This record gives sequence, C-alpha cells and structure tokens, in this order.
Amino acid sequence: MKIFQSTTHYNYDWEHVSTANWQKYSPWNEKTPHVIAVDTLSRHVDPASGVLRTERLITCEQNCPKWLTAILGGDSKSQVYECSYVDPKSKTLTLCSHNMTYADLLSVRETVVYTPSAHNPESNTQFTQTAKITAFCGGWQKIKNKIEQFTVDRFVENAAKGREGFEMVLERAREVFAQERERMEMSQRA
Amino acid sequence: MSASLAAECNEVKERYDTCFLKWYSEKFLRGNAQTDECAPLFTQYKTCLNKALKERGIDKMLEDAREDSRETDIEYMKPSGKS
Repeated sequence: MKIFQSTTHYNYDWEHVSTANWQKYSPWNEKTPHVIAVDTLSRHVDPASGVLRTERLITCEQNCPKWLTAILGGDSKSQVYECSYVDPKSKTLTLCSHNMTYADLLSVRETVVYTPSAHNPESNTQFTQTAKITAFCGGWQKIKNKIEQFTVDRFVENAAKGREGFEMVLERAREVFAQERERMEMSQRA
Repeated sequence: MSASLAAECNEVKERYDTCFLKWYSEKFLRGNAQTDECAPLFTQYKTCLNKALKERGIDKMLEDAREDSRETDIEYMKPSGKS
C-alpha cells in the first residue's frame, strides 16, 4: 500500500470554494481534460445533521502506459464513485472517492477536506487530500509495486493539475459573481 | 458545467446543475434549505441518466461502490456535526 498526502490553501473564503467545488471540472478548468464527465446520482439534506449528501459518478479518460493496459485490460475510460458531505455549520466539505473500474486489481481511495484555514478562516480555505493506493495481484510483488508506484506518480501529477485548474475555476467564478452582483445593483437602481 | 457521460442527458443536466448551484450558494449555505426548487429538474435528469447507466451496465458496478459509503455516512453525518 502507498499513501499520498498533500495540504494547500486557497485564497478564497470557504463559501466561495465549496460552491466552486461543484464546478471544479467545468470548461473553466483547462487543466484536467482527463475528467470527461461528472454526473450526480443522488442528493439530499440529511434531516438530523443538516448535512448535504451527494453521490457523483466521475468519468475519466487517461492514457495509460502499454504495460499497464496489458495487465488491466484495454478500456481507456474509467469510473470513480464519489460521496460527499457538506456541513454548513462546521463549514466542512468532505469528498470521499474510490475507483470503480479495475476495482479487483487496484484500490485508490481518496479523501479530500475543505475547511476554513486556521490562520485566516474568513478569507482562506485549507485543502487536504489523502489517498491510499493498493494493488492486489497476489504474489507478484514486483508488479504490485510497479502498479502502485505508477498510480502514485499519476496521482501526484493529477493533484498538481487539479490545483492549477481549480484556481482557474475559483477566479472565473469570482468574476462571474461580481458581474452578477453589478447587474443586480444596476437593475435595482433603475 | 461539466458534461454528462450520456450526451443525450447534457441539456437537462445543465439546467439542473445551474439550478443547484444557485440553491446551494443562496439558500443552503445561508441555512435556508427547507425547500428545493430543483427537485423536478433533478427527477428529469435522473430519469435520463439512469437509463444510460443501465444501458452501459454501470448500474451494477454502482451497487458495489455504494456499499462503502455506509461507513463514511456514519462518520460525516453525525447529528451534532463537528464543532
């Protein structure tokens, strides 16, 4: 098993970040073309906790090295299941996801948490990402290590792109909100 | 907004996503989530999506995937929430 962890901060308040999270893989994000579709499967507010629970299906298309497709099979499309929880009281957005495709051979489990940053909770948001990667090809330790290492490398690469892309979405969303506000103020004055 | 895995659902998905985003930022985050005006659009989108998932055999894979969320449900939907 290999573990990947990273923490970073965004220069936007939690409300803005958690809203833009739903648009993370929109065309505003030019850095993550490997995410080709995001579908919402279910969504409800839990009456007891007030938490918004959402299930999504994320479809990716990624070029894999030949040796890996030979082991895992040929399809380049893969599916990720994500269940997320937004607690508006504690201002915590948690996204838990794992791979559905190749699940018999490889397990990639990711937990992402967005909370107001401790040092600047009004205008900064902390992002923490943890992933556990486990390959299950019994006995073939060498191949197992190779698959896990490749997956970690790809994960590191995608995490960096994900961050860059999300910055684009956050910036674009801020512009659109500002325009919207201006339009509303104009119409109120008229 | 992002696309749907089924092109035929894109239009209704776009309308639902737009509605949800407005509800999320203007109502849910402000503690005003008693009503959900996006429900009819979500029903339309789900009808389209479920058909596509079935055709592609993804519905079966989803059943297994969903099993795991029971644990995270308990962890992240505590009635008191984290304080």
